[in-house]
Amino acid sequence: MAASLAQAAATTPPASPLSPAQTNRLARSFRSGQREQSSSAGAGALPAAPRPTPSYRSDLRPAFTKNVPTTLVDLRSMEQHVKALAARVSPAVVAVQVGSGSGSGVIISADGLVLTAGHVCGEPDRDVRFTLPDGKTARGRTMGANHDNDTGLMKITDHGPWPHAEMGDLRQALIGDWVLALGHPGGFDLRRSLVVRLGRIIRLDPDALQTDCTISPGDSGGPLFDMHGRVIGIHSAISTSAAENYHVAVTEFYEGWKLLVKVPAGTKPAVKPLAFVGVLGEDDPDGCRLTTVDEGSPAAKAGLKAGDLVVQVDGREVKLYASLLRWVAETEPGETLRLSVKRGDELLSLDVKLEASPQKRP
Amino acid sequence: MSLRAGIVTQPRLASCYRMPALLLALGLLASLAFAADSIVAPTLPRERFRSGEATLRAFAPVSEAAHDSIVKLNVDGATVALGTVVDANGLALTKASELKKGKLTCWLATEKEVSAEMLGVDEDEDLALVRVHARGLKPVQWAEGEVAIGQWAITPGIADTPQAVGIISALPHRIRPPRALIGVQFSFSATNSTKPSIERILPGLGAEKAGLKPGDIIMAVNSQAVTNREQVVDALREFREGQTVKLRVLRKETQFTAEVRMMAPMAGQSDDAANPSRRFSRARVEFSERAEGFEQAIEHDTVLQPWLCGGPLMNLDGKAIGINIARATRVSTYALPSRLVKRVLANLRSSSKSPATAGKSASPNRR
Repeated sequence: MAASLAQAAATTPPASPLSPAQTNRLARSFRSGQREQSSSAGAGALPAAPRPTPSYRSDLRPAFTKNVPTTLVDLRSMEQHVKALAARVSPAVVAVQVGSGSGSGVIISADGLVLTAGHVCGEPDRDVRFTLPDGKTARGRTMGANHDNDTGLMKITDHGPWPHAEMGDLRQALIGDWVLALGHPGGFDLRRSLVVRLGRIIRLDPDALQTDCTISPGDSGGPLFDMHGRVIGIHSAISTSAAENYHVAVTEFYEGWKLLVKVPAGTKPAVKPLAFVGVLGEDDPDGCRLTTVDEGSPAAKAGLKAGDLVVQVDGREVKLYASLLRWVAETEPGETLRLSVKRGDELLSLDVKLEASPQKRP
Repeated sequence: MSLRAGIVTQPRLASCYRMPALLLALGLLASLAFAADSIVAPTLPRERFRSGEATLRAFAPVSEAAHDSIVKLNVDGATVALGTVVDANGLALTKASELKKGKLTCWLATEKEVSAEMLGVDEDEDLALVRVHARGLKPVQWAEGEVAIGQWAITPGIADTPQAVGIISALPHRIRPPRALIGVQFSFSATNSTKPSIERILPGLGAEKAGLKPGDIIMAVNSQAVTNREQVVDALREFREGQTVKLRVLRKETQFTAEVRMMAPMAGQSDDAANPSRRFSRARVEFSERAEGFEQAIEHDTVLQPWLCGGPLMNLDGKAIGINIARATRVSTYALPSRLVKRVLANLRSSSKSPATAGKSASPNRR
């Protein structure tokens, strides 16, 4: 590990001293500022932004506010609470199927608004099939997604009322808070139903919410609950360590609500087209290994091949497939990414010009 | 292992680099950010993580009480599994498929290494019964009643604190066997409203041997009616390698029944894409080799090393709610529930007493 880090240091430019959170924030304020101007028309008819339900730290059981639980009494108290909480919030956690993709989501209103991840949601106005934990299904549509912060919104169009979760407030949250992650990893499975995981907030920046809840890729869009049972995050990305995963902070939904709700017919949806590169890959200790390169895709046009090891994108080191995806999602169609690629003993530098996602509306 | 190493949001920096308008602002802020970074990393210390050392210490009473009910199994000196002691005379259950050929020994909580021998294997649930040549072992106590989602799931080892802890993520459910094939391909353009018409017969597999041909339409699998490709695939997922299924087949105007043997996919025929969580993480984590095909399994969110399966999964009362049987995905572990374990144990005990059947199940390495 030490060796590969040293190598990386020799070949990559020094990392920006700006933390990702700060950079994100800059990028976002820049971009969303642009966007709000273009989407301000006709906002009156849109679903109102949800509000956080007030909660108080003093309501938490003492075991949850200690540095760590220290006694069996603490552990029993936590267990009792977590069992009840899991049962209480589960009914609102849905599996979602959009086109051939699947993920998770959480219902937050009786009329069926569903929070999910931007990369699960995709373009607005697509058909969605929702599956509730008991196996019942419902139909709906995607409303909007913001790929800068990975927020997504959907709506169940079948008649409710639907079981729904309360929204929380990250201003009250602290590093170390215990949290519950729910979702339907790998799609809905009637034998198993949803999967519940316990963890703690391990990082809490204005823009980065990280926990040690053991989520997996299929969990994307599922809810993170605080110990009051309120949604404080949406599962977004995993990292190299099973115990350090990423969630979209619920704050992003409050602040970016206008970008997510569907704009009335006739106006252009306030969602940028999703950039597309046309590869599948997997994590590799030395980079991201491409497993598939779609024929005719931007990647193929740039000369990428299955088996290539992507080690850098625009001079930044890449270790995870998720990083590559995220990077592409951050980029506008028409922009160019420079990929450093290892193919056998060769080190190639290839420019990929991203295109708009070819995904057709159903 | 540092947090910074795992940052997946880092790529976002790229978007700024491509925006000349932002570069000025970046220059201004960079020095500030650098200062903030070097003061404190605003992260939870690792020892306070859900499975961190400090958290694990709270579970010490459970782990200490379980010491003498757990053994660490070694093959030729390398630890391959934990074992769950099931009687005072040294009988223990463990994960069968981890016991490769070699010299079998056990580490005990007393730091002694003793010899052990294999008595029998239940291949369906991947459990092996072994005799540990040691005194003073205590059988685990089995928990009564059902498990609940959200309850603590503790994996003790032979140390003072548990190997790992988690919670019950999903109630006991059937885990289907690894994919086996009949050896046909349907049209990729098939939808849920098109009939399951065979497009291609894969050479050397059951369908070819049973005489199926392209154009044949599958009407039923073991008398369960099927109307599209998805239903056929789903029905076949219930069967293991070596089993025979009866297919009702329509060829032009005639219907007939074909008996087709399920076979394990060879390299290139397997569809690893069917399990996205495994596909995603293949390069990074080791899973249990045998991680599918259990009658019932409790799913818990413990990230357990594959060589630490075979031991008991305990509740806060120190009672065994099951036996860890597989690291299933990047982030989850399966445990056979105690009720199932007790039934398998009863079968293994009775068969290993009769010499006639003991020989049959002596080879632990078959799937």
